[in-house]
Amino acid sequence: MIDRWIWRLLPWVPAAIALLAWWAWFAIEQPPASVMPSAFAVIATMADLAFGGRLPGDILASMARLLGGSALGIVTGMAAGFVAGLNRPIADFMNPLVVFFNAISGIVWLPLVIGWLGIGSPLAIFLIWNTVFFIIFQNTVLGVQLVPEVLELGVQSLGGSRWETIRSVTLPGALPYILSGIRSGLGFGWRALIAAELVGATTGLGQLIFSGAEYHRADIIVGGCLLIGAIAMAMDRWLLLPIEKRTVIRWGLVATGQGR
Amino acid sequence: MKPLKTLIPFAVLVAVWWGIKAGADVPDKLLVAPLAVWASFTGLVSHGILAEYASASLRLIGTAAIISFVIGVPLGFAVGTNRYAARALEGTLRFLQGISGIAWLPLAILWFGFSQTTTLTIVIYTLIVPIIFNTMTGVRAIPDNYALALQSLGAGRLRIVRDVYLPGALPSIIVGMRLGMGYGWRALIASEMLVRQGGLGDLIFGARTFGQIDRIMVGMVVIGTLYIVVDRLLVQPVETLTVARWGVLRR
Repeated sequence: MIDRWIWRLLPWVPAAIALLAWWAWFAIEQPPASVMPSAFAVIATMADLAFGGRLPGDILASMARLLGGSALGIVTGMAAGFVAGLNRPIADFMNPLVVFFNAISGIVWLPLVIGWLGIGSPLAIFLIWNTVFFIIFQNTVLGVQLVPEVLELGVQSLGGSRWETIRSVTLPGALPYILSGIRSGLGFGWRALIAAELVGATTGLGQLIFSGAEYHRADIIVGGCLLIGAIAMAMDRWLLLPIEKRTVIRWGLVATGQGR
Repeated sequence: MKPLKTLIPFAVLVAVWWGIKAGADVPDKLLVAPLAVWASFTGLVSHGILAEYASASLRLIGTAAIISFVIGVPLGFAVGTNRYAARALEGTLRFLQGISGIAWLPLAILWFGFSQTTTLTIVIYTLIVPIIFNTMTGVRAIPDNYALALQSLGAGRLRIVRDVYLPGALPSIIVGMRLGMGYGWRALIASEMLVRQGGLGDLIFGARTFGQIDRIMVGMVVIGTLYIVVDRLLVQPVETLTVARWGVLRR
């Protein structure tokens, strides 16, 4: 009984220790607010920003960019992935390009694309799209190529057209891979977004923490970082993981990473 | 055959780029011709500017990789071999993975100013979290029987770590290293852009202020190429080697 409680509480131990250490260090050292804020200051500042401050707008701006960029990346990545996955020569042609552009995906484009799109949402959306696209593309190609040919031939021998085969066999067969691509793609996209917003935007969570550095407000930065982590974790745990799990169970032709 | 297969797509890409530049008459401040990029590249190389910026970036990622490896792997082992520690830290590590290194940049700037230390801190943070996490998962995934078998034959704790945990977890550690390098290289470039104390990120972001598109594009190509070289020549062979040699765990 007690054992189970300890087991339950264990994940909160590091956070509790960190909080305690923070509080103790703050009480002893009393650093200036520009170096390290107190935990209370962070909570107070975040509450101020949340009610009547800029926080709701910043969260909304960041989420909208993430949604827009990821949606674009998923749609284009899946489309290109299906084309390449179903046509060997096209896949061979695209592969070297994908390797190269994947290596410079995301933030590396910022200096060039600022010149094209200026500062603001389109820039951030481009960088997220650029990051998400390659992950979705690679996973889609992999998923499509791993669908056993027997299943496709089965539908075809029963009189299914090419389109029907893709819709009823290849797509569901590749879906688990695509979804795990979406999951890691959004993780990368979230990073790219924060980086893009540091320089390339006037709103958003990245800009919020960057303005914290400009005004020497460590409380805003620490609060903002914790919020960024919390949003990323909430998104992964309550949105992406359940979707991934459900499709793997429903359509997983291919065994992936065994049930944990 | 193989090099040709790799080169043709790039040749087509450059041709299309040239076509767009010449055909649509794009102004130089948006896009420059391939030849201009080449000219800029040779200029940067002959003046030693490129070598200076590139070596700054490489030195930094190398230092960060070594430090993260030396600290991260033992830490991952310590956590992974103890199920209470693993349970306690898993959620926290996941949470930290959600906060990209670059998000800590503003705080690091407040602490260390616009210096190399700031960039180094960010890159180490970015690298070390996936390394700890993957070392931990790698150790946790080793079937207990292997360790128990050795134990029943009288092996000590150190022996078990050396003969079971280390080889068993190595593939996962390398995966973590590879993932960390992917995140870390991007964090490095982004951090260099903002800190502006040398490095390829500084090169391309500095070129932006003067509208030198040719220089930006040279920088981008170098960044991509270096990443591929590091990944293919260093990390991937180690990965194939260890998986082939010690891959106890098949996925």
